[in-house]
Amino acid sequence: MEKREEQTHSVKYSTYIFVWMGLLILTGLTYTVAVRIHPGGWAILVALAIAGTKSGLVLNYFMHLRSEKPLIFKVIIPLVMAVFLVFILLTFSDVAFRGGVR
Amino acid sequence: MDEAKESVFEETKDDTGAKLGMWLFILSELILFGGMFILYATYRYKNPADFHHASKELDVILGTLNTIILLTSSLCIAASISAVRKGERKLSMYLLMATMALGLVFLVNKGFEWTTKIEHGIYPNSPALLARPKGEILFFGLYYIMTGLHGLHVLVGVCVFSVMLVLFVKDKLNQRRFIPLENSGLYWHLVDIIWIFLYPLFYLIT
Repeated sequence: MEKREEQTHSVKYSTYIFVWMGLLILTGLTYTVAVRIHPGGWAILVALAIAGTKSGLVLNYFMHLRSEKPLIFKVIIPLVMAVFLVFILLTFSDVAFRGGVR
Repeated sequence: MDEAKESVFEETKDDTGAKLGMWLFILSELILFGGMFILYATYRYKNPADFHHASKELDVILGTLNTIILLTSSLCIAASISAVRKGERKLSMYLLMATMALGLVFLVNKGFEWTTKIEHGIYPNSPALLARPKGEILFFGLYYIMTGLHGLHVLVGVCVFSVMLVLFVKDKLNQRRFIPLENSGLYWHLVDIIWIFLYPLFYLIT
């Protein structure tokens, strides 16, 4: 009897190790930029960009989003992030202009 | 007769459905923490100096260490799932136990952080905290709520993993049936991702 074909094959340990090393490097980077370089106004953007990259690595490799065949996974997650982005935009379009438009 | 019994008690396997269920739960968790992140963003926008000042009181080394701990625990659980899929049962169990151990170390560190703060009189509604500027009160309120809720999620994750260990021992988790472990792993990676954002936003405000 044929074994039912699995949707994803088992990921190699080495792939995980490389991703982990990348995550550690990014952690070191975000620490160094914040504590040593003091980017001032850009700080929050840099921090969020690095955190976003780290999350992308975790999502795609540890959580296997990259190798997920059903399109539905690749649709739902960006969709929720878009919803979240709208929440943020709506909130700040209010909060940023309280006290009048400068 | 036995064949009939088998077909009645045949386990229905819907791996995609199970995985989708966990993903939907994960997305609901993202909205939960997302709401708090929006709150954080608003208060930080309104009180930039206070947030910066309060953030300096957190232990960056401990926070960085905790980040490394969680990232490594994510590596362990991912590798554990690869191992069980390859039929390497013992390795999978050891990696699972390593994940749990790292999760517990994270919680112990968190415990040290919190007790240090509380000993200095900084906790929600404390007189010492209420005497501080408004922005700092907001910062520490958010700090306790968000790292507290996150810590609770870590604890729940460790408990779920201990159930997985039991399933391993009973051979209910093996090369043919590993979706519960994979879904537990997905939950753990979410907990890791939340911390990936908590860390710079609380510890690295420059």
